[in-house]
Amino acid sequence: MIQLENVCRRYAGADTEVLRNLDLQVGRREFVSIVGRSGSGKTTLLNLIGGLDRAYEGLVQVEGRRLDELDDSELSAYRNLRVGQVFQAYHLLDHLTCRENVALAALFARGRERRDAAWARRRADEVLAGVGLPDAGGRAPSTLSGGERQRVAIARALFHRPAILLCDEPTGNLDTETGREVVELLLDLHLEEEVTIVAVTHDTAISAAGGRVLHLVDGRLEERGGAAG
Amino acid sequence: MIGRGFARTVAGDLLRHWKHFAAASVGIILGVAALIFFLGLGLRVRDLLLVQVFPSEYLEVAPRSVDLDIFALRVDLGRDTLDSAALEELSAIPGVDAVYPKMRLIVPALASGGTSLFGAGMQTEIVADGIDPRLVTEDVGEAFHEVGGDPESPARPCRRDGDCSEGSYCDRPAGVCKPYIPVLVSPYVVELYNGAFRRAYGLPKINPDALRGLSFEMAFGASTFRPSESTVIRERMRLVGVSDKAIPLGVTLPLGHVRSLNAALGSPEAGERYHSAVLGVGAKEMLPAVVEAVEAAGLEVRDRGARRAALVTAVMMAVLGLVGVALITVAAAHIMHVFFLVVMVRRREIGLLRAVGARRGDIRNLLLAEAAVVGLVSGLVGSLAALTAAVVADGFAASRVPDFPFKPESFFAFPPWLFLSVIALAVGAAVVGALPSALRAAAGDPSDALAGR
Repeated sequence: MIQLENVCRRYAGADTEVLRNLDLQVGRREFVSIVGRSGSGKTTLLNLIGGLDRAYEGLVQVEGRRLDELDDSELSAYRNLRVGQVFQAYHLLDHLTCRENVALAALFARGRERRDAAWARRRADEVLAGVGLPDAGGRAPSTLSGGERQRVAIARALFHRPAILLCDEPTGNLDTETGREVVELLLDLHLEEEVTIVAVTHDTAISAAGGRVLHLVDGRLEERGGAAG
Repeated sequence: MIGRGFARTVAGDLLRHWKHFAAASVGIILGVAALIFFLGLGLRVRDLLLVQVFPSEYLEVAPRSVDLDIFALRVDLGRDTLDSAALEELSAIPGVDAVYPKMRLIVPALASGGTSLFGAGMQTEIVADGIDPRLVTEDVGEAFHEVGGDPESPARPCRRDGDCSEGSYCDRPAGVCKPYIPVLVSPYVVELYNGAFRRAYGLPKINPDALRGLSFEMAFGASTFRPSESTVIRERMRLVGVSDKAIPLGVTLPLGHVRSLNAALGSPEAGERYHSAVLGVGAKEMLPAVVEAVEAAGLEVRDRGARRAALVTAVMMAVLGLVGVALITVAAAHIMHVFFLVVMVRRREIGLLRAVGARRGDIRNLLLAEAAVVGLVSGLVGSLAALTAAVVADGFAASRVPDFPFKPESFFAFPPWLFLSVIALAVGAAVVGALPSALRAAAGDPSDALAGR
């Protein structure tokens, strides 16, 4: 489902490549955890898979399509419909309600039905209920706890029922108990919604939950085994 | 991104960043207000000058004078009349809709009468010319017309005016009814009378409308300066209106009548020689080309005031318009600065929108739409400010500025196209100002924006 071959990524002004001839294969409905120290390129890797970063060399192919061959419109549609992204810093817009944050992708959807405001509202409430926040739709993100905000961010990523969920340190800003709840939520989604999940983390709870654990070392991935998902 | 979601997003962003946008709009508001105010003023002044003071849709042309001054005398070496061939040449000039020949009365004339108006009879030397009645149909209707007797019908005998029908008087020496000759006077005559003449002679101020119907006698061929050498033709005139196409000082008669008088009292050829012609130029923008063609034909434009007025108002409007455009341009630069700031502040937000599916065009359009709304609102507020300033200026002019000829009720003309075009300019300036920031915001990868790079 996700295939990276010989991928290199160097940031402007950096001496070394953050990703060096990296290879990765992720199958459908797989849960892959990627661990590595800070600055090892975990977020960069997710950005490449999520179509947020195109300044790379090598092959990044998702669902049989090379991302570097997609034009802006196709890549935007990919980000809108096929992949959901959960960011470590949540990136919720405080001037919108939680419902509006979750339904943000509907603004850029291509189908007539998906642009329908009533449909978007129903779907946002449905997804919020799915992450355990059935009453948060009308609330501002700033009134929520860290764990709740991360759940809203996950709900936003799930809005268009993506095939792939990319999570960047989803428990990084949370306490242990709240982090555990978020990990359980991701596992439930993986099992119930059959979503392919790629999570980068420091959190051993996530890496322990993931079916496969990959270590990002010196710009390359090394597989060292992990608990079954 | 289209539809209500887009509109709501734009509105929400504008409300969120209203302080930035308000600061950005100040320059545009000032520019729009200045542009509309000054162009409105210029348009009205131009209308006043070209339509009322120098009616430029009509251009009077005459043979170019070539004069030689010998001591106290000025000798005219050029031709001073137009024949029918010259008139045909004028009518062939592109932009000329009609040619109306004018003929001066070439014999002296005395006017007497005015008892009903001034309380006592007056007699004065008077000059006259003749114009084609079609030239003044818009001003005075059919009241000014050629007078021609039907040769087959015998003149009605009479002993006093009451014996004749409306529009005729009794020519007592001949004992027959004759039609009044309709005449026009210029508004300058009325202005001159009301402004200076009446004060000098202690006469009442007159209402131009009350002049209509005033009758007086004219003796063609008679003069107080020298005894008459030929026949004197006495006729009664009736003033039928005031027109700026009438001779500035004197009276204007129907062209055919002046032609007959010149032929009868001068020579048969004098009845075929015109002294000038009025060209009807419907499209004002053709005026310069027509003037050029006229001068190329060896003629000169007589009402140079109109040309100067047109030039002065055009230059004035251009200068004032440039001031407004300069203000709007500066405002666009300010908008550019503000949008650069706004995009910086919203960098992560824009990255997030890209991450959830916004295309580059969506981001660009979102920012440009916000700029367009800023421009539109600024344009509307600026228009309102201009209107308010115009009302204040008109109020000041009405109460503080002394009356003068052609003083208008309002010094401003605000045609709808002025607002539409200036507001469109404001929207365009705001959009152009925001364009670099919008393109920049749309260009980068979402990962850079999310990372704040």
